[in-house]
Amino acid sequence: MITPAATAPLRRNELGWYLYGVAAAGEASAPLARLAAGGAQEVELVAEGPLVGVASRVSLQEFDEAALPERLRDATWLEEKIRAHEQVLERVLEDASIVPCRFCTVYRSEVELRRFLSERREALQAALDRVRGKVEVGVKAFIDRDRFAVAQAKQNDDIRQLETQVSTAEGGRAYLKRRRLEQRVAAELDGFRGEAADRLHTRLLAAAEDGLSLPLQAPELSGREEEMVFNGAYLVTADRAAFEEALALLGRDFRDDGVDLELTGPWPAYNFVPEELGPE
Amino acid sequence: MSSRELESYRSGQPAQLADVLERVLDKGIVIAGDIQINLLDIELLTVKIRLLIASADKAREMGIDWWEGDAFLSKRNGQGELEQRLRKLEEAAGLPTSPKQESD
Repeated sequence: MITPAATAPLRRNELGWYLYGVAAAGEASAPLARLAAGGAQEVELVAEGPLVGVASRVSLQEFDEAALPERLRDATWLEEKIRAHEQVLERVLEDASIVPCRFCTVYRSEVELRRFLSERREALQAALDRVRGKVEVGVKAFIDRDRFAVAQAKQNDDIRQLETQVSTAEGGRAYLKRRRLEQRVAAELDGFRGEAADRLHTRLLAAAEDGLSLPLQAPELSGREEEMVFNGAYLVTADRAAFEEALALLGRDFRDDGVDLELTGPWPAYNFVPEELGPE
Repeated sequence: MSSRELESYRSGQPAQLADVLERVLDKGIVIAGDIQINLLDIELLTVKIRLLIASADKAREMGIDWWEGDAFLSKRNGQGELEQRLRKLEEAAGLPTSPKQESD
């Protein structure tokens, strides 16, 4: 393919800085050697006053603004870069608190990166203070319809009666009874979803510093056949003991209703840093 | 408390790509880098990207690399298999579907 020179203002091999996140200078010194030794992504700490930018040199041609929309359509490229972004932040998180940046934050030069770190120092430090000593965890809840139906039959007289009628009826009558039973269970499930999500969120929030609920994932995304009924993110102390205890109790409570809980993380606190830094 | 006692929930390992995408693409601090993904682009793209990658994940599990050299990615043909699958997934998820390219 021929790229017209006019649309490619950048010189070949010109390097910029990809910023993964911002940490405190003292805390984030240790992981540097290990990250650099990691190989694939050579990560450097760009120190500016009390802050460090966790960054890598990247080809500006690869991250050219005009070319990005096209790159984003390339699933292989995108997955590799997104995984790298996450892995770098996770390594830093082992030893330091970090304010994670959104995917593809790139500076043309070290001077520009340093200017950002020094000009926005206060807002960055405030964001860092909020997540210091804490991590984000994710909690997802999935419901198994069959187990939910069994649980309903135990708790609900109407449904139990319908079940009995289904098992004793024959032919067309059995079919109609079965349809009614299914509709009845589905109606119960409609009410249960929201109620379960509220109960889970209230109790998890009480064991966390902060929390919010995220959009539910369709089965194509979650990779599970069961329906997702809750998807939450919580900011918790790094040792997570109190939160995991609350989660274990909830897991036992909800299991009988056919609900399974899944814990993810620890994540950098993506959901608990300001979406945008306040005005300068 | 030992981890044995805490088995009423499942700890997902390694991180599911969907969970990584949900965070890396949508969350984290947005700062004025010199180069940034246009936020409108991101909004339009993330839904497609997620479905694209989720489908790619499944395909890879089955040992299929069908997205490589796919018509959708080379954009020669709007009726590529990937695009059709994407549209189906979008419809199933109740999302606005990708524009159909008129053939002729």
